[in-house]
Amino acid sequence: MNSFLKTLRELSPNCRAAVRLQSEALDHPLSRSQRIGLRIHLALCVWCMRYGKHLKILRDTARQCEPDSEPERALSPQAKERIKRALVTGRK
Amino acid sequence: MDLYGDFLFKFALVRLRDPDQAEDLVQETFLAALKGADRFTGQAAEKSWLVGILKHKIFDFYRQAGREVSFTDLNFYADAEGESFSTRGLGKRSWIDDLGPVEWTANPGAGLDKEKFWRAFHACARKLPKKVSAVFCLREMDGLDCQEICDLLAVSESNLWVMLHRARMALRRCLETNWFEKNTSDQPGGKTNPANYQV
Repeated sequence: MNSFLKTLRELSPNCRAAVRLQSEALDHPLSRSQRIGLRIHLALCVWCMRYGKHLKILRDTARQCEPDSEPERALSPQAKERIKRALVTGRK
Repeated sequence: MDLYGDFLFKFALVRLRDPDQAEDLVQETFLAALKGADRFTGQAAEKSWLVGILKHKIFDFYRQAGREVSFTDLNFYADAEGESFSTRGLGKRSWIDDLGPVEWTANPGAGLDKEKFWRAFHACARKLPKKVSAVFCLREMDGLDCQEICDLLAVSESNLWVMLHRARMALRRCLETNWFEKNTSDQPGGKTNPANYQV
């Protein structure tokens, strides 16, 4: 059993690499050996598995990001005046 | 202008993080809209038509501005490299005990505390170097293909993957520290040490 686990660990990337591979998997297809190594790692490492879930939450969250989620930021009255003046000049 | 000015400004500000540049692009957007008003068929809602113009202005801006990696980016890379991985012994490059990721609640952006969450999200995003933040916004908020982003910013694909990895890593850690840990600290097992799981 111990030697089986040892073999698995040798096939699996370390956490730092597993974290990078999970990010890259969101951007391009991984090679077959990368996929297999990552799958083994994730079966053994709850932290990296959570990390992967977090990346997906991060992506889903970023897609929902509405400009109005920052209510306190707005154009200053002076900026609005400047833009209105520019629009009047631009129209002529 | 009174109707959509603030919305467009905030849209640009999230992506550019510079109020002056955001104001300039909003102005250009309204000017372009004014000139192209006869092309506006009314099929698309006014707001999304304006957002569409603004997006193009932002992409143009990135195209012109995003050519070099600034010094702060290099600092950022050095820091992000450190994450919470052990540098010594058998567990080298594994998560350090107790510093691994904690459980997150699902869909934080739509929860009861969503206003507070978004404040934390934007505060964390503002800590990223500008170019890294731009890459993150283009990929994760606007959903552009990697190839499109590479063309826009004149970076190689492998460079882009590294930047995205670092941006996600930094944002994840910042949100965890400033949001999720505070909200899960009273849950049992939120930060337990799964000793048998480490590889």
